[in-house]
Amino acid sequence: MNLPRLGLMLAALLALAACGEEGWHGKSIEGLMPELEFRLTSETGETVTEQVFEGRPVAMYFGFTHCPDICPATLARLVAAVRRLPEPQQERLQLAFVSVDPERDGPEQLRDYTDAFSERMLGLTGTQKQLKTLTRRYRTTYGYEERREDGSYEVSHSSAIFVFDADLEPRLMLLDSLGVAEIAADLERLLQ
Amino acid sequence: MKIVSGVLLVIVLLAGALWWVSDMAPAEPIEIENPRVRLVPGGAPMAGYFSITNHTDAPIRLVSAASDAFGHVMIHRTVVTDGGARMEHQDQGVLVGAGETVAFEPKGLHLMLMRAQRELEVGDAVDVVFGFEGVEPAEYRVTFTVVPVTSS
Ligand SMILES: [Cu+2]
Repeated sequence: MNLPRLGLMLAALLALAACGEEGWHGKSIEGLMPELEFRLTSETGETVTEQVFEGRPVAMYFGFTHCPDICPATLARLVAAVRRLPEPQQERLQLAFVSVDPERDGPEQLRDYTDAFSERMLGLTGTQKQLKTLTRRYRTTYGYEERREDGSYEVSHSSAIFVFDADLEPRLMLLDSLGVAEIAADLERLLQ
Repeated sequence: MKIVSGVLLVIVLLAGALWWVSDMAPAEPIEIENPRVRLVPGGAPMAGYFSITNHTDAPIRLVSAASDAFGHVMIHRTVVTDGGARMEHQDQGVLVGAGETVAFEPKGLHLMLMRAQRELEVGDAVDVVFGFEGVEPAEYRVTFTVVPVTSS
């Protein structure tokens, strides 16, 4: 076999692999992580658990509102993908933004922020203990960088969107490399 | 013979014109395209995006950005590694090679615009003053447009 042909075959194989296991664009986490469970404070100021989603599938992102670049970029892609879904699916899917920066993200700040993206996006945050429990459950982390002179600081956080089904079982991790069409395709398939 | 020399003359004139045009210095040594600020509600920092082209024949360095509309402006890069995201302050500034274009775009280089001094709305204009090394004048004022948070 000549080299160019081998190259083409490898490229085709890679393209297949890039499509992910079982044809998902995202990473399937079915059966790999425990079902959704948390105790947090919602954007209305109430203490809530996973029951707040009332048995609806959830797309959840961990971030912070003082994140000007990747958080809005990711949430905007998610919202754009949701808009491509058939209407009934759009209404079923719950969006959640969990701030890992409770010091700056009080309920009001969270509400302003999430409402700017979608009325179906719920803002949540909690104590460090509550947030650590939840992020560890999904094998992700967050951390704070050194404070600047004006007291501001950066937060490192997970870049993926976690999708849970109506039974609160974790199903997909939508990595930040996915485009709107790929996210929409995965969500549509999951919500069928 | 007359025709041949006529054609030759036209070719020489055209080539001359082309050479003259290509040798003309661009109107501006630095070109900033599509400058925009993505509106974030709730007083949180916003990101500024644009692309910058260096039309000079030497590298230049973008070293600072400031705006009357914001308390503080920093040059940042978002770095995504292994499922995690964080921002890196570009304390050396950003180098733009001779004739090159560098894009400030979502999930990459961005201006971090902190502490808005007034309530901004989509469609507002915000002036940013860039500071450069390696080019004169060293300061460059650019008008950014405020765009919705859901835009890219
Ligand atoms: Cu930044």
